[in-house]
Amino acid sequence: MSLANFSFYLNEAIINLRRSGFTAFVTLSTIAISLIMMGAFLLATMNMESFLQHMQAEALVTIYLKPEVSITDAKTLKLRLTGLEEIEDIELVTPEQAARELFSSPDDQQLLQIGITEDSNPLPTTLRLKLKSGMKLKPLLTKLNNEPEIDNVSYGEDLFRQFQGLSDLLWITSLIIVLALGLASLFIVYNTVRLTLFMRREEILIMKLVGATNWFVRGPFMVEGFIQGTFGSLIAILFLFASYKFILAKLTLLTPFFATDIGIDQFFKLSVKLFMMGTILGISGSLLSLRDISRFSKSTPEGV
Amino acid sequence: MIQLQNISKIFPNGVRALNNVSLTIDPGDFVFLVGPSGAGKSTFLRMLFREDVPTEGKIYVDGKEISAMPESRVPYLRRNLGIVLQDFQLLKRRTVAENVAFGLRVIGASSSVISNRVQEALEQVGLSHKRRMFPTELSGGEQQRVCIARAIVNNPLILITDEPTGNLDPMISQEIMQLFLEINARGTTVIMATHNHNLVNKLRRRVVALVDGQIIKDEPCGTYAYE
Repeated sequence: MSLANFSFYLNEAIINLRRSGFTAFVTLSTIAISLIMMGAFLLATMNMESFLQHMQAEALVTIYLKPEVSITDAKTLKLRLTGLEEIEDIELVTPEQAARELFSSPDDQQLLQIGITEDSNPLPTTLRLKLKSGMKLKPLLTKLNNEPEIDNVSYGEDLFRQFQGLSDLLWITSLIIVLALGLASLFIVYNTVRLTLFMRREEILIMKLVGATNWFVRGPFMVEGFIQGTFGSLIAILFLFASYKFILAKLTLLTPFFATDIGIDQFFKLSVKLFMMGTILGISGSLLSLRDISRFSKSTPEGV
Repeated sequence: MIQLQNISKIFPNGVRALNNVSLTIDPGDFVFLVGPSGAGKSTFLRMLFREDVPTEGKIYVDGKEISAMPESRVPYLRRNLGIVLQDFQLLKRRTVAENVAFGLRVIGASSSVISNRVQEALEQVGLSHKRRMFPTELSGGEQQRVCIARAIVNNPLILITDEPTGNLDPMISQEIMQLFLEINARGTTVIMATHNHNLVNKLRRRVVALVDGQIIKDEPCGTYAYE
């Protein structure tokens, strides 16, 4: 595409957008509203993920070692696990320490009374891990399962499973909503461009008569779609940013335990995604409408 | 320049618009296409600029078989043709100069080329002083002259025109005809479908008469009569 062609497309697109003010407004609003809804769901999911990660980071994972594992082996394992990227801190708890922690005011006598001695302590040797911030639990658990010394791992499974389930559900819901809204707005963009095509069929006919290629005829419509998609996504991003800040402030005030680290960098990533979605929506909606452009360029209908 | 070999056109509704038509038009010819309404004149012309394709037969324009030409090549064929139709088909929201320039814009010509060629074309049709006016501010004759300027701005090999004087009074029609003769004198082949028997009889050019989709007359210096 030459520069002369592009400036022609741009000029035509701007003229046509001005001329078809209301239809252009409908298309732009549709894209903006769809993207706001898509963005809102994506933000909610991202926050849920972030909240889950916070909880995971705060959680203490307890590893119960097999009874036959000696303290020396436990120390070796501790050293080995320290090298894992997910772990921030690791503490070795011997059966004696565990037994003492079991009682509020422990002494040897009390331990003896319940049958715990240096030689017969039923409590296992344990390792207590603290996760690094932002690290996920699942990959760590997989790594721990490969260690032969480990008997069992405790991390508050039920609560995590519930949150993980909720997070997965949110992702699936978001995906369905994003797809449904994407298709709905594509349909609306398609129809508005179609309407514009009917309004401008005389112009298209003249373009074709003087030797314009189909792609040349499509050019201004595609630039129009691009402009509408771009502006629609920018409106959506601004609206989402303002309302997200507002809602987050209120939420933090109401529920102090609510912790999320969706920062400006993640919001920027989301904005880029929305911007691309908007642009793709605008252009693909136009392209879909224009696939049979030849139908609009017949000087008189066939058979007349 | 143009060769039609056994052309037939049957529309999906069963109407046979052209029936085994063969014709050769040499470079620089001026051909009047006459005949009653529904005789197939417009279909004949539409096939020359590949708006329609024949059901049977072959059409050659400037040595190329256009009836079998892929759709993607049609725009390049049309860039060598000038087309003027009865209803003026001007863009009402664009000035006279912009309308004429349209034919050059779509082929990606540079601004300086567009400016020079538009000026030349408007001078040829005598409208350079009205270049900034809008079509709605012009008379019917002037609007048709803008169409002619747009058709000749690319220096086409062939000018195809369907009832160009159909909406004009006799006086203006003569002016328009004069323009076509001048264009033809510069070497452009002109093919014109018309019902204007006065002009045909006065000019005594080649006349091809179509009736019921068949050529019933082809005279080098003919008259309008085809009955």
